[in-house]
Amino acid sequence: MISIQHGRVSLALHPLSETAGPKLLCLHALGGSARDFLETPPLWPGSVFALDFAGHGASGPLRGGAYHPELLAGDADAALAEIGPACLVGAGIGAYVALLLAGGRPDAVPGALLLPGAGLAGGGVAPDPETDTLARWVDFGAPLPGCDPAVRRLERDIRPPDYAAAFAQTARRLLLMAADFTPPPWWQAVRATPTAMLAPGDIATSLAQLAAATSG
Amino acid sequence: MTEPHHPGAVAPERSRFFTSDGVRLRVDAWGDPSATPVVLLHGAFDHGRGFDLLAPLLADRFHVLSLTSRGHGDSEWVDSYAWPNDVADAVNLLRSLRTPAHLVGHSRGGGQATDVALWAPECVRRLVNIDGFGPPPEGFAPPGGSLDPRPAPLRFRDYLDRRRKAVARAWRPYPRIEDLVARRREQNPRLSPAWLHYFLHHGAREVEGGWVWKTDPEFATGFGPWRPEWIGPGWKGLRVPMLAIVGSEPDSWRLPEAVVAERLAHVPDLARAAVPGAGHFVHMERPRETAELLLGFLEP
Repeated sequence: MISIQHGRVSLALHPLSETAGPKLLCLHALGGSARDFLETPPLWPGSVFALDFAGHGASGPLRGGAYHPELLAGDADAALAEIGPACLVGAGIGAYVALLLAGGRPDAVPGALLLPGAGLAGGGVAPDPETDTLARWVDFGAPLPGCDPAVRRLERDIRPPDYAAAFAQTARRLLLMAADFTPPPWWQAVRATPTAMLAPGDIATSLAQLAAATSG
Repeated sequence: MTEPHHPGAVAPERSRFFTSDGVRLRVDAWGDPSATPVVLLHGAFDHGRGFDLLAPLLADRFHVLSLTSRGHGDSEWVDSYAWPNDVADAVNLLRSLRTPAHLVGHSRGGGQATDVALWAPECVRRLVNIDGFGPPPEGFAPPGGSLDPRPAPLRFRDYLDRRRKAVARAWRPYPRIEDLVARRREQNPRLSPAWLHYFLHHGAREVEGGWVWKTDPEFATGFGPWRPEWIGPGWKGLRVPMLAIVGSEPDSWRLPEAVVAERLAHVPDLARAAVPGAGHFVHMERPRETAELLLGFLEP
């Protein structure tokens, strides 16, 4: 495990395999950890790293609990600062974070594979006075196992489709995993941009395509 | 350095720390603790002692509590700042009082007080918003800077660059507190040097090499999809009466009246007042007139 720093928080970055070739950084779903990607190394032709986001796994909690996706993208960016340019694979909240980072740092992210998972939807496309109650930020429910209780705020942040689409437009390459779920509006907006393609099948095939498309 | 005095300013009768979300926040109080509570929320880069002029004028009738928000004044710094966390802190303080309170906020604190009333109407009797009606429709420009019209991903790259340096960021010390007063006066020329000296004595600390702001340098460096056009429509759900106060004088920190009126048009139960001779910092510039408005609006 490599200990890296994002602001005042110490994060755990786990090298899962180290070989020559392109790098892959794995970003877990809400309530997950780097462990969710232990079976990924055989599916990728280079080094594989997995990050524990703040409040998850072996990473420290965020003092004050102001968890939001842009801050988690800063966690992942701290990992890129450590390992250099890398493709991203993200699940759930990790998929949304991968989108933000792929769009914000296209020079450091050749491509990203977005997978469904916990924290994918967020809290809607705009504030809704009818449902925007205490549940969003004060009474956020039972803690997820092994996590800072406040990470559940990541279930409720606003994700406007045009905001997500802007990041998709500056990203170099995005693969979106098809799955048996109703995609949230931000995902549909990303899907509609020219840089985004539907992933060709399972994770193994999709990672192989991402590696082929972004190498050289 | 001895505590400075300022005409009309009364130090809190009691001060304590209150823990919200694991963060230690300072609460200053005036008046009879068994009286109806009035909770005061200050603006960005200010602190709870900015109400030292207003609070004593309410304390004969109310239990007045001033909350210093996270990252400000003597309240604890956190790792990252976001608007809803401050709203949650205020809700947690109100809940701890075990009786509904009147809520008064200035500037950013006014907007947050309004959100508290939206989220937790059972905790709020009446709401007073002092010139806290959000940024201009075109968004905030950084102090002394201009608006950044670039698309979100390009601005986000700057945010990521700032985050990479966040661990080492610190305020540059000013040699004397008078230099802080002069700096703050550039931004708020309507506030007198004497008042700013009092206010900044509590908003800055002496370190080796001079004086630094107590406010966390990481405050107000966040990033997100929030939009000014979301402000007004959200207020149509308010279930408590709102008194909206502005100053009558031009002030670079004030919104055009047309924008204020458009946003406030969504508030179901609204009273409005303009304080003559005041700019944005109504309660600091005209505490007596502000107190009279509050005493007329808030029921003991």
